[in-house]
Amino acid sequence: MSAMPDPTGATQGLRGGAFLFGETEDLFSPEQFDADSRLMVETAYSFCKKEVLPVLDRLDAQEDGLMESLVRKACELGFAACEAPERCGGLGLTKSLATRILEALSLNGSFSTTFGVHAGIAQSPIVLFGSDALREKYLPHLLSGEWMGAYALSEPNSGSDALSLQTKAERTADGYRLTGTKMWISNAKWAQTFIVFARTNEGVTAFVVERSFPGVTVGPEEHKMGLKGSSTARLELEGALVPEENLLYVEGEGHRVAFNALNLGRFKLAAMALGPARAALHHAAQYAKQRKQFGRPISEFGLIREKLARCAAMFYAAESMLYRTGGIVDHAFQQVDDAAPDRAEKYRRAAEECAIEASIGKVFATETLALCADEALQIHGGYGFTEEFPVARIYRDARVTRIYEGTNEINRIFVATRLTKKGVFQQLLDCEATDECHDLFLRSVRAAWETMGENLISDQQICARLSDMAMNLYAVQSAAVRATQATGPQGEFGRACAALWREQAGVALAAAAAEVFGRCGKAGEPVSLSSSGGKDVDAIATAVLESDGYPIL
Amino acid sequence: MKILVPVKRVPDPYAKVSVLPDGSGLDTTAIKFEINPFDEIAVEEAVRISEQREAEVVVVSIGKPECEEQLRKALAIGAHRGILVETEANLDSLGVAKILKKVFEKESPDLVIMGKQAIDDDANQAGQMLAALLDLPQMTFAAKVELLDGKARVTRETDAGQETLEAPMPCIITTDLRLNEPRYVALPGIIKARSKPIEKIPLADLGVEPECRVHTLKLRPPAPRQAGRRVESVDELIAALKEKGVLNG
Ligand SMILES: Cc1cc2nc3c(=O)[nH]c(=O)nc-3n(C[C@H](O)[C@H](O)[C@H](O)COP(=O)(O)OP(=O)(O)OC[C@H]3O[C@@H](n4cnc5c(N)ncnc54)[C@H](O)[C@@H]3O)c2cc1C
Repeated sequence: MSAMPDPTGATQGLRGGAFLFGETEDLFSPEQFDADSRLMVETAYSFCKKEVLPVLDRLDAQEDGLMESLVRKACELGFAACEAPERCGGLGLTKSLATRILEALSLNGSFSTTFGVHAGIAQSPIVLFGSDALREKYLPHLLSGEWMGAYALSEPNSGSDALSLQTKAERTADGYRLTGTKMWISNAKWAQTFIVFARTNEGVTAFVVERSFPGVTVGPEEHKMGLKGSSTARLELEGALVPEENLLYVEGEGHRVAFNALNLGRFKLAAMALGPARAALHHAAQYAKQRKQFGRPISEFGLIREKLARCAAMFYAAESMLYRTGGIVDHAFQQVDDAAPDRAEKYRRAAEECAIEASIGKVFATETLALCADEALQIHGGYGFTEEFPVARIYRDARVTRIYEGTNEINRIFVATRLTKKGVFQQLLDCEATDECHDLFLRSVRAAWETMGENLISDQQICARLSDMAMNLYAVQSAAVRATQATGPQGEFGRACAALWREQAGVALAAAAAEVFGRCGKAGEPVSLSSSGGKDVDAIATAVLESDGYPIL
Repeated sequence: MKILVPVKRVPDPYAKVSVLPDGSGLDTTAIKFEINPFDEIAVEEAVRISEQREAEVVVVSIGKPECEEQLRKALAIGAHRGILVETEANLDSLGVAKILKKVFEKESPDLVIMGKQAIDDDANQAGQMLAALLDLPQMTFAAKVELLDGKARVTRETDAGQETLEAPMPCIITTDLRLNEPRYVALPGIIKARSKPIEKIPLADLGVEPECRVHTLKLRPPAPRQAGRRVESVDELIAALKEKGVLNG
């Protein structure tokens, strides 16, 4: 029904943005991983539980050598080599599986950020956009964990507005000289390689910069409210000399490197948010069973059960979105021949395919983590506010996930802007609704488009409402379809979560729609959605309590 | 040399198991299955030996087609090839030992390393029975294994202290928890395991039809634990124990 052409011949359901048209074919979910894949995920999960979780205090104190040795151990098991093609020494696993493995490794925020940056945005620009020579020069060191990597885009005066970056790259006889300051650089303390973005006469350009190059220094650690075990510091470039062959992709096209690394980065950040959310739910369930007030475990109280159920339902929705997006990403990447000379162009298009899903997935998953961390702390009462229990750390660590890899505001604006500029909103005008949530979304899009047309992008509130509606639509749809595919107790649990999330999202959808209609002179339009009256709360809470946390891995 | 390691598919030891309503067995729909932890230690030990000297590690499992998952994991740890003896039959320890005897005769390994017991029924019998059926030496509950010229030496931890045994090979060794800490299976190992061979042998082809002499009549979950009570002093504790008839007087 959609007008978007599809050069890859994918089924409708596997194209980016297909969900907006109500397409759900071939939706991928974690239940579809085979036994080998599950073994890999379990290995990652047990590595994280046995090697990382017991040393969190020492990690947060940045004990000398500890984080590096954990990262190296993780790399020795192959965790950083999941996605790189076999041609360049990687394992060539699907991005969905690599992401599930990352999620399993991500129970703690500091380790997750450190490892996630190293195995993700510090590496993917070289894989996707690097020449064979650059790949050969750097990937063996990065994949094996012998070296750590970092990604340096942000600057003191250039954060969300990343392309306003001021770092200069001047061409000289023996390469480029880079001058400027990069701010908030994760892994700066440990990294041997930095993907640096700087401005040449042609525009923003990406480089691989080694720590050992003359003119490169790293500043002192920032004092952060959380994620204390991760390294965040400035990278100072004082006429740093970078050989010409370390230029990535095309001079002046560095924004494409930056944004496509971030597309994949956001897709993965969702997994890195679900890791700690899983840990939060685990502690919440355990504590609720053991803490007694008024003569009963607090897990028997309706409001505590509701918290557990809502967290689990939102988690289920976030997880469903994430791996559905994984299916789309994998399909797009499987079309690319890594040996072809134009692979960088093909990879770029593949990474763009999931831009919308990656952004809403990042926003949704980081907000899922916010809910889970907050409610887990609330369930712990006053004890949660102390450092004796692990939830305080999860709460502090969680906060930054809504800020980095594009703030959630920037991602919301990005979604609406892209849907406008790519003409998708316009295509939605004559799309048929598949259910009542979809119907409400389509009616809101029409109202906004009829009143404002392309100008809607200058109204940030409208943009955010439409993005949020798209996000909730993706969440509701992905959870519902996944749940109907699943069997056994996982299917039952999934259907309860999907139903509860549908109800929660329904409230948000109705509120957003009412606002859009109100602002577009259609205040009377009906917005109410049916409700199941919270009937699934108890079943979900029971499953979470019985499994000591979120029951599916 | 060749080392034979039997691996059993058992419910994840950390999974909460529940009994089917009619008491005929466990509800396995939601449970994850694993290699029996003692068997995983045996696989690890055999693989370590093979990393130090020329040795082929052959893993064998008996049961349904799903046991292939556990064999694949053993292959991912580093075993070289697998054998799956296919059967849907209920087996007791003697039945398992009889089947393993056939596999032993087919493979002629120099050494069998196996778990001292499986964490599902905790029988702790198959290794000993296999040794008896084959009339081979056995060294059980190994905490340390060393291979000497044509002999194996096992250190075992007993109530009286450490005991060291030696036996000529071939012999049967069963593993205790302390023998080693199994490695994390590295991802490249899992990928490599995909192409390692697993030979599937229908039980009938082995020429043995073990009769199961242990019958499970009914399973029932243990009675739920009664809530405890906190006592304030030793005197109160003693009084409470007397009241319950645990202490006399
Ligand atoms: C712990 C940590 C690790 C980091 N790691 C890295 C790293 O490894 N590499 C790297 O390059 N960067 C990294 N960053 C930087 C991070 O990506 C930026 O902080 C982020 O992009 C936001 O930029 P900013 O801090 O300058 O905020 P600003 O851009 O100044 O934003 C301030 C506020 O204004 C809002 N805002 C800004 N523009 C708009 C707009 N157009 N519309 C609506 N609202 C807007 C934002 O949402 C935010 O709420 C890290 C940051 C932290 C805290």
